[in-house]
Amino acid sequence: MAQSLRFGQLVLSNRLSTLGLAIVIVSLAVALGFGLFGARVTPHDPFALNLQDANLPPSLSHLFGTDFQGRDLFSRVIAALPIDLGLPIAIVLLSSMLGIFLGMTAGYVGGVVDEIIMRITDLFLAFPTIIMVLAVAATLGPGLVNAMLAFVFVWWPPYVRLVRGGVLEVAAEDFISISKALNSSFSHIILRGILPNIMPSVLTYATLDVGTALLEVSILGFLGIGIPPNTPELGVMVGSISYGLYTYPWQALFPAFVTMILVVGFSFLGEGAREASDVKVRPYILFKGRAFKKTPATTSPLVER
Amino acid sequence: MRYHLNEPLYSQYYYFMRDLFTGNFGIDPLTGQSILSEILFYLPNTLELVLCSFIIIIVVGVAIGYVAGMHFSTFRDSVARVAYLVSWSTPMYLAAIVAILLFANYIPLFPSGGMYSLSIVPPPAVTGVFLIDALIAFDMTAFLSGLHHLILPAMVLALVNFGLISRAVRSSILNVRWSTYVKTARAKGLSEREVRRKHILRNALVDATSLSAVIFGWVLTSTVVVEELFAWPGLGQFAYQAIFSNDYPVLIPVVVVFTLGVIVANFVADVAYSILDPRIGMGAHGAVT
Repeated sequence: MAQSLRFGQLVLSNRLSTLGLAIVIVSLAVALGFGLFGARVTPHDPFALNLQDANLPPSLSHLFGTDFQGRDLFSRVIAALPIDLGLPIAIVLLSSMLGIFLGMTAGYVGGVVDEIIMRITDLFLAFPTIIMVLAVAATLGPGLVNAMLAFVFVWWPPYVRLVRGGVLEVAAEDFISISKALNSSFSHIILRGILPNIMPSVLTYATLDVGTALLEVSILGFLGIGIPPNTPELGVMVGSISYGLYTYPWQALFPAFVTMILVVGFSFLGEGAREASDVKVRPYILFKGRAFKKTPATTSPLVER
Repeated sequence: MRYHLNEPLYSQYYYFMRDLFTGNFGIDPLTGQSILSEILFYLPNTLELVLCSFIIIIVVGVAIGYVAGMHFSTFRDSVARVAYLVSWSTPMYLAAIVAILLFANYIPLFPSGGMYSLSIVPPPAVTGVFLIDALIAFDMTAFLSGLHHLILPAMVLALVNFGLISRAVRSSILNVRWSTYVKTARAKGLSEREVRRKHILRNALVDATSLSAVIFGWVLTSTVVVEELFAWPGLGQFAYQAIFSNDYPVLIPVVVVFTLGVIVANFVADVAYSILDPRIGMGAHGAVT
């Protein structure tokens, strides 16, 4: 507990990751608010057509303007948050669970099982991600669940590699062999010995990965494949404007910028967490680099540790 | 008989694999042309775009990562970090739309799409790559027009993809710049410039090389979005149209070609890796790793 508090302090000592955390928390709260209360939390109904107000520029009553069917874009952006955050989080959760299961099996059992799992993982790693997701999503047909499955199909291999590497490192540690000598049960070694030691790196990677998944989900929506048209999804909103781009640029720019801000939030947070968990760099974050500049040779914080 | 649809799945697979290795991808049901000739027409255009932006990515990415790493925890480091984090968080379509709006619409510096001006007669295809063909034919107007059309999409591709390489260069510089062998290099009296170039930057480049294969794969697949927006007649647009019209006979070979591109990039990176870092052997001679 004290350790994770200290880790949190390290992450938050960086202004960028604090900003990232703020963006993530606010957007999750808004998404949860819309999920719970629906159109009551948005200034206008995000789904109601109002053709008289079509293509209005941004104003006080329509912060982001309206789209070609007169729907308020600001409300639609809010309505898009549950999908645009939920889908990537679900993708990352499922992929990491699959990755943890396969990676632990490969790393702990070893031998032929390891060989088979890792060769299949390498095979999947060679596929170019976006193209493969597009192809699978197009094959499965439109639908949010299908889009998610298409993503999970190509998203899990990095987790297997990450977890397997971690397991190999931890399993060689003394406390695992002692635990074995003490006749601990298999599940005890796995759940109490190995899993807690690989979770930090998985979580760090997953935080960054949610941002990447969000980007690619919105690209899927932008290209109009996998995600049904008229879904309030940021990429779909950008993509549905392609013909009026020069006349109504705000209809594309606002949802696209919101996408960017969301991904920036996850990237800043994940990057801060990664840096804080990097043993080699951590001392220099604590000292903000100053310790090194004054006395480079002897009192490097690395040596002191 | 052409698609062997009356035969069981495994013999269909056998025919598919046999044709794959002989380069016979079949006929595109939508256009009636041989798929291989279509791919060979689109592939050089994509390679032209991808290689150009790849060079920009390597130069800009390494430079930004180097500045960030050498000025760790200073203002310059923060600026560089924000730059590369924002770069990789930017959706490709946002970068492309902003570029088109800004530099093709409001300030019409560059064309908003296409590969060369309509008034240009394309030079005879020798390599298939427009710029090289124009040079071979000594057609400077065609060459300049091609370059003019190339700049915007190549910059957009580079802008959203350089982040990862900057981050890798920065973190590998952080890993070596306080290490003992850099201290040794300083202690034996090397100039600061030499230490930085030979001991710090070279190490960072080794890490960047292995990543560049991943980056190349990303850029290659990013073309699906960028080529569509810039009306660039390349493999990405071809793939998008195949996906959009459920044209699976075309889609499968295109995915194969993209995958081959990634594999070849990885192979080249591995070879370059062993040249840059003598500690890594190529297997047969069993160098110590």
